[in-house]
Parts: sequence; C-alpha cells; structure tokens
Amino acid sequence: MLELYHGEPNLFSLKPLIVLKEKNVEFVSHHVDPLKDASYENRFLPNDEVEMNMEGEGPILVHDGRVMTDSFFMSIYLDDVFSPMSLRPAGAEAHWRILAGAAGFGQLLGPAVSTLGVFRYLAPVLRKRGADSIKAVLAARGFQERREGWTALLAPEDPAELIEDSRRKVGLGIGKIEGILANSAWLAGDSYSLYDIDSFALTHCLTSLTPDLLNQTTAPRMMNWLERIRARPAVQAALAMSLTGKPEQAFLPGPEHSRWG
Amino acid sequence: MLTLYHWEPNANSGKPMLALKEKGVAFESHYLDLLNFDQHSPEYLKINPNGTIPALVHDDLLLIESTAIMEYVDQAFDGPQLTPSDPYERWRMRWWMKYFDYYFAPSLSMIGWSVFVGPSVRERDPDELRAKIDRIPMKERRIAWQKAIYNTFSAEELAESGRRLDLGILKIEAVLTRRPWLAGETYSLADANAYNTAYALPFSRPDSCNDEKTPHLMEWLRKIYERPATQSMASMGRTTLVSRMALLAR
Repeated sequence: MLELYHGEPNLFSLKPLIVLKEKNVEFVSHHVDPLKDASYENRFLPNDEVEMNMEGEGPILVHDGRVMTDSFFMSIYLDDVFSPMSLRPAGAEAHWRILAGAAGFGQLLGPAVSTLGVFRYLAPVLRKRGADSIKAVLAARGFQERREGWTALLAPEDPAELIEDSRRKVGLGIGKIEGILANSAWLAGDSYSLYDIDSFALTHCLTSLTPDLLNQTTAPRMMNWLERIRARPAVQAALAMSLTGKPEQAFLPGPEHSRWG
Repeated sequence: MLTLYHWEPNANSGKPMLALKEKGVAFESHYLDLLNFDQHSPEYLKINPNGTIPALVHDDLLLIESTAIMEYVDQAFDGPQLTPSDPYERWRMRWWMKYFDYYFAPSLSMIGWSVFVGPSVRERDPDELRAKIDRIPMKERRIAWQKAIYNTFSAEELAESGRRLDLGILKIEAVLTRRPWLAGETYSLADANAYNTAYALPFSRPDSCNDEKTPHLMEWLRKIYERPATQSMASMGRTTLVSRMALLAR
C-alpha cells in the first residue's frame, strides 16, 4: 500500500505528487493541514526522520509500512521502485547532475521561497487568529527547530532583513536556472527529469510571489520552461489536487536558512 | 584521467577521498591548503570557478558538491558497492547524509572555527586576509569565511550549535543501537560521509561522546577507523587535524 500525507500542491508537497502522477502510480492521498489536525504525524512516532523533518511541514510517504520524509529523496525512491518510466537519465554523470543541482537549489531556494511565502500568506492569518491558533501544532512537534518555524510567524512584524536576503537568494536561483537553460532544454540535459520536477515545485509560485524577479524580461527561458512543465498532464493533475484552487498561495513553515549566512 | 582537488581528509574534502579509497580507484591527488585560501587562487578558479573544494575532475567533467561526488564515484567505477541494494535503505542513506551535511556538520564547524581554526588564521597580516576574502567568488562563501575568520558568531549561536551537537550525538547513538550502520545492515556512503564529520567528536565533545554515554557511536567510529580505506585516506593528511583519529585506536 502506498500513501502520501501532503499539503496543498506547492513546494515540497508538489514534488512527490508530480512524480506519482508522471509514473501513473495509484496511491492513497491524505491531504493534511497541520492547523486543523496538528497531530497527524503522531501515528508515525517515534521516528527520527519524521520528527526531525528538515523540510519543516513537508510530505510523508508510507510504502508498505516504510515511512519516508524529504520530498526529493522520496521522489528518487518512487522513481527507483515504480517502473517503467524513469525520471532520471541513465549514467553516473546525469545522476550526479540531478543530485548536485537539487541539493544546491534545495539549500538556496527551499528556505528562501518558504520564507517569502509564509510571511506573505500565512503570517497575517496567524497574527489575526492569535497564539492559540498554533498551540496544538507546537505541542505536537518535538523538534525545537520546527516549533521555531511556527512561532516566528507570530512576531508582530515581518523580519525585513530575512525577507530581503530571501529575495536576494530567489534572484540568484532564478539567474542560475536561466543560465542552465541557455545551454539545454531541461536542467539535466536533453530530457525532462526529477531535477526539473524538483526545481519546478520550488519555483512555479514565483510568478505570483515575486513577479518583479521572475518575468519574461528577467528570465524568458525559465518562464518558457515553467510553461512547458505546467502543460504536462501529470503536472496539471498534481496541481488539480488543490483544495483551495490557489496552491501557489499555500505555504507552511519550511526548512531553515543556512546558519552560516 | 581522474584528479581530486582536496584539503585534509576531514569534513567535505574527506568525503570523496574516502569513497575513492573504498572503491579502490586510483586518482591524482591535488592538495590545496584551505587555510591559505588556495581554493580561491586564480589558477584554481580556472579549474573550478566556484572556488570550492573538494572538486573532482574526471576527463573533461568537473564535479562539485562533495556528497553528490560520492554518489558519482560509487556509480562510475567498479569496486565494492557503497550504496545499499534496497531502495528504502538508499533513501535512508541520503536522508542521513543530508542530516550531516546541513544540520550536524555546520554546527560542528561553527564551534571548530571559533575555538580551533579561527584564532590561528587571525594571526596573519590583516590586509592580506582581507584581500583573500575579497577574491572569493560566491557571496554565500564570502559571508561564511568572514564569519569563520573574524569569529562573528554570537554566544547564542555557539550555544545553539552545542545544543544541536549534543542532541545529534544522542540521536546517532540511538540509531546505531538499532542497526549497525546508518542506512541499515551494510556500510554505505552515509557512514563514509558521517565519519569525516564525526571522527573527532570524542576529542571535541568528550563529555557527550564517550564509551560510557555513547558506546554504539564509539564502536561505529572505531569500526570505520579500522577499515583499510580509512587508514589509507588518513595517511594523506598533512596537518595535525588527522591525528585526532588516533584517539579511536583500540
């Protein structure tokens, strides 16, 4: 049995949803919202990889009792286990390119896009509802870093410096993707791969979140690449799993920024 | 042609070194002195414009990102398989490598730089140091080097790193109580990765990592230390850093 616990199809939750749809794998979808059901993770505890989820409120994959977190690594698992269509070109070089690329963008864009998204969309809602709105989720999360991801959203004002730094990182990431696409149709080369899925999931919301940084003038190749991916039936099917109709506005506390600056 | 550009058999440089040694792959070693900022020299930037080490050059292909290089080495060359055959254990191998790369190692290196490395680097000519920082190509790396050299970490940041390390040590001990290696029943890239960060814990965190409190972690470190590949890697060290491994001798 294959089950995915996920949020709205955006960022980390979107990655395995696209992979499952691309591979046409049947699965049980558990659409979870930690603000409504804070303790859904408890059924998996004790479990280090769930408790210390470095993606914050990222998705959880359960395959025949095997519990997995980290949206990129669970996507590789799905690609490994379910055939026939492979989402990774063969060979050690392509494997390295996908791993190194996803690690780089994950570290750069994962925290930055999450930060911009949660302070734009989630923090205003939580401030209005007050501290009680996150009481249950704080009680349910044993990992201090994950609790801090939530409590930061209750501060009376947005962290201007962190937001500016996040915008800088997003701009840097857009430039890097644009640069790669100057040399190849897809991020890992000639074919669509997990690298594209990973980066698309992290950036497709930017056309509305940071339109001044990502548009036809700043990054025409990336805009075209996003459109090509959005047009894929599997991606449309994954995005259609949204309950709000606006997945690009759905954000939850994500990974930490590097503590080294 | 296979050339590895690396520093000491320690942290990020040690990861591909140990993978190559475990695979039994011959390579040309090009040692760069990290503390002399050799990795930002114009000569090296021609090879790796990012100015980061380690970097592996295989024929015409430049490979960066130490953990991804490890996976490349395991796939590209014959020799013992360092990736588990079970896909779930492969997932676990990657999860724990990320834990070390992004959570555990940054905390350890923050304390390491503050206490051990930074003070000796700061004894150098300030103008020369500033010039060497200014030529670092990537802003993220420039910020990190400034923090490391001038020790701009606050007491709170350092205390937080200590908390994370002590918590991490207990987590790793608990994992190794349940299985012999980080990913499962076999030695994998996760162990090789983690060893290069964790081998000096009995030296740097003796109150948290010792035979009494963390016997499984200590035994795991010793088992890796005793592997011929680890010994061969350690022999490539040129500074006193690697001498900390000797604490693991039985």
